This record gives sequence, structure tokens and C-alpha cells, in this order.
Amino acid sequence: MEGSGFQLAVLLTAGVIAGLWLLARGMGGYRTATRIGDTGTSRIATIAAGEVRVSGRIEAAEVMLISPLQSAPCLYYRSSIVSGDDDLVVGDDRSEERAVGFRIVDETGDIRVFPRGARWDAPTRFDDRTGMFGEEPAGLSRRTGSAIGPTEVDQEAAIAALLTVRPVATDEAEADGSLLSGFSAGSGGRSRHYREARLAPGDEVTIVGRAMPFSDLADPTEADAAYGSGVGTDDPEVAADIAEAREAGLLADDPEEAWGNAAIPGFGIGRPVRAPELDPEADALRLGTAEDAARTERRFAIVPGALVLASAPDVPLLIAHGMPGVAAGRNQGTFMVGLLGAVLAIGSAMALAILVSGGFGS
Amino acid sequence: MTPSSMAALFAVALVAVIVGFILVASYNAVMALRQRTDKAWSNIDVALKQRHDQLPALVAAVRGVMAFEQDVLTEVTRARAAYSPDEPIRDKAIHAEATTTAVRSLFAVVEAYPAVKSHGNVLDLQNEIERLEAMIADRRELYNDQVYRYNTRISTLPTLPLAWLFGWAPREFFAASPDEVLRPEATL
Repeated sequence: MEGSGFQLAVLLTAGVIAGLWLLARGMGGYRTATRIGDTGTSRIATIAAGEVRVSGRIEAAEVMLISPLQSAPCLYYRSSIVSGDDDLVVGDDRSEERAVGFRIVDETGDIRVFPRGARWDAPTRFDDRTGMFGEEPAGLSRRTGSAIGPTEVDQEAAIAALLTVRPVATDEAEADGSLLSGFSAGSGGRSRHYREARLAPGDEVTIVGRAMPFSDLADPTEADAAYGSGVGTDDPEVAADIAEAREAGLLADDPEEAWGNAAIPGFGIGRPVRAPELDPEADALRLGTAEDAARTERRFAIVPGALVLASAPDVPLLIAHGMPGVAAGRNQGTFMVGLLGAVLAIGSAMALAILVSGGFGS
Repeated sequence: MTPSSMAALFAVALVAVIVGFILVASYNAVMALRQRTDKAWSNIDVALKQRHDQLPALVAAVRGVMAFEQDVLTEVTRARAAYSPDEPIRDKAIHAEATTTAVRSLFAVVEAYPAVKSHGNVLDLQNEIERLEAMIADRRELYNDQVYRYNTRISTLPTLPLAWLFGWAPREFFAASPDEVLRPEATL
């Protein structure tokens, strides 16, 4: 086979692979669209335990995330940095996905969502590349502080944040040791592709998952955050380690014993609801009002019998951006693209067969 | 095997995979819809049973003071007695509608008796029954929505041939037609 023929064969093989990939993705979209479209929306105030679909706006629960590429407050992000001239280059690519627990609110009430194990369908909010001369895209605003932030920043905390001088990021170390570690400002002449999908407070989402009493959650702490570790405290090995640590006295029995002041609701991320124990020289903290305390209590304390939304082995949690019709339609669109992918794969295979048998040459 | 026949085989296999996937996914979707519909119905039944259990306490609480409103109380009792856990969905819808109407009439009459209305026990019962009424209304809406989705799916492609093959029949909505609703005989 001559040079041009070989190139064509490679191109057609790529067409077959791309077509099959689109088809597989489309099949996933079909299943998601069916799952969203075939479940009726429950009103939160009268929700019943079991598989449900809930639709509404999301709001922060206890804490929020700060996205790595745009420093935007959010409840979920999936960020990636791909280096090289195009996305096919595999080198020091990196991606990061995180989520924290949140509430979804409809016109009748709100319900807490524990996102561990969820499948996310979030919109891409930032998709840009470095310029021709290696300059960073205008929308890039890399996170320089903690990945976790409070839901409400009071005046004093906001002033303190403004007055805090943070070191400029270097190649050696980044502030949080995550996605941005080792990536300095400026691309050093190499092209980079930045992409960030997020869900932020106020976004409309559709959630399909299992409504269950809070007390039925095997591990609320693990269920509340999706950091991609994949190992929960219900893992037999982890559970054995925890039991051993508890027996050895390394693990405290209650939060007050383990964390001291940090166990007081509102301490460190707002106004504490009761007086913390501080050094005599330390400035006394202003306590929250009764209203603050009630709000903090509502935010941090969940009644054991209250229904929450979480993933279950038979009903994985699905969190999709947009109202049900929009979310289902988007996934149906993915299925249609998948069918076109099948056509592409078949066409490419036919053309490859003709090429191999010498059809194009003659 | 020549390259052309391999390509043809690939095309046929891919089409077969797509058709197989759609059939299996459609079958699974219908099975899931049936489960959701059954669950939605069970949730209505639970709320109907809870309301059924609360009504005697409400009637007993107001009976002494509202001795002159026996018609309304009788109507609530009659509507409650008509409920049967084993009756068909249509009959349940008719009786549920009649009970709701009778309970609303009772609440309207209670408004005329400030002494009854301000009684803590009556107020609690009224609030609880109103909560159950709201729950029944929401869950009925959800059930009917699930039935609509199920009936639509089994009567449209690509599930229609499967419905014919497996004998899937449309489900009944939880609704009573206007002429079937049992109106209370009491006059206010």
C-alpha cells in the first residue's frame, strides 16, 4: 500500500473506532434518557421512600467547593488540563472531580442530597486553550486557596480573606496539592486545553435516586462527599481498622472529644452557636444569634427519620443539569449522535474493505 | 473471507447489536415502569389507609359539640365505611373522592363552631388530615403520571411489538369520572 493509501487506511480505521465510541456513548445516553423520562417528578414535601425523581434548584448545605480553574464557588466540578497541541496527546494530562452534599429545593420544600457514587451530567462552564504565544486564556483564574469554602462568608471573614497575601504558585508546589499541583502560571510555550464543568447554587437540576431515611445511610460522612477515593468506611478492611483504632483508644467516641471547639456548629465557618473554650489571651468570639443558631442547626443537623437522597446499589444517583425534559432531551440527542456514529463506523469499514481489496487504487 | 464480506458482516453485526440493545433497553424500561407504577399505587394506598384510620378520631372529637350537624358527620362515616383495601382502583378512586368531599364539608362546618375549631385535639386532627389530603393529591398525580408514561410507552415504537408479544395491557388511572363521584347528601 502506498503512502497516501496507508494514510487513508489509518483515517478509515480511526473512523471505525470513533464511530463505535460514539455508539457506546449514545447507548449510555439512551439509558439515561429513559431513566429520566420514565420516572415521574415527586414533590419534595410529600416524597415517599424509594426511587424518585426530583427537580428544582440546588443550594449549598454545609460547605461549598471552589473550582480549580475559575475559582468559582460550586457544589460539583470536573476540571481537566490537557497538555499538547491537541487532545489526543497523552502526557501530563490531569483531571479532578469533586462534589459535596447539597440541598435541592422545589416549590414545596427541600431535601438533602448525599452525592457519593452519583453520575453527573453537568454543563461545561469553561473550555479554552492557551493562545498562540502561550498566553493563558482570559477566563482562567486558578484557585489559590482551599478547595473547600463556607456557604456564607460574614463580613469579618471576607475582610480577612481580602487582606491575606497568598504566595504566587510555583512549579514545585501548589496550595492544595491537587489538579493544579506542578502547574505554574504561564504554559512555558506549550499548548494547554482547560475544561471545567460545574454545578453551582441556583442551578436547576433533575435528580433520580433513592429517597431513604437519613438513619439508613451506612456512612453519612462518606456519602456526603465524592472525592473519587472509592473506599468507604463500610469497606471490611477499613471497618476493621476503625474498630481496631477505637479499641486502642485512638478514635474518639464523640465529635466534642475528637475535635474540641471544631465540633461546635458554626465554629470557624461563621458564628459558633455556643461559647468555645479558648486560651485566656485569645479574643472572645461573638456568638451567633438564636436565628443564626437555628439556621446552623438546620444546616448541620439532620433528623434520623428525615428522608434524604442518596445512591443505592440498585438505584444509582443521577444528577443532571436542567429540568427533566431538557436533561432527557440532551441524552436523547447523544443517542442520535451515537446512531450517526454507527453509520460512520459502517461506512468507514466498507471504505476500508474496498481500499484493502484495491478498489480505490483501480 | 474477503474484505468486502468482512465489512458486510461487521455492518450486519453492528445493526444487530443496535436493534438488540434497543429491544433489551425497552423491555427493561417497561419492567421498571411497571415497578414504579406499582410503588406509586402502594404509596397512595398507604396514605388512604392513614386517612381512613384518622377519621373516626376526628368524628369522635367533634360529635359532642356538633350534635346538630349529624348529616355531615354521617356522610363522613358513610364515605369512610365504603373504603375497602381490596376494591379495584376505579372504585377506590370513587370512594376516595367522596371521602375528600365529605371531609371538606366537615371542615367547612367546623369553621362555624369556634369552640370546636380552637380545641387543640380537633386542630391537630384537622391539620393531620389536611396533610394526608395533600399527600393523597400529590401521590395520585404521581401515580397517574407513571400510568400515563407506561401506557404511552407500551403503545408506541419501539415497545409496541414487545407489548403485543408479552401481552402488556394499559393500566388504569386513579380517577373517578364526574358522574361517578358520590356527592354528599348533606346541605350546608
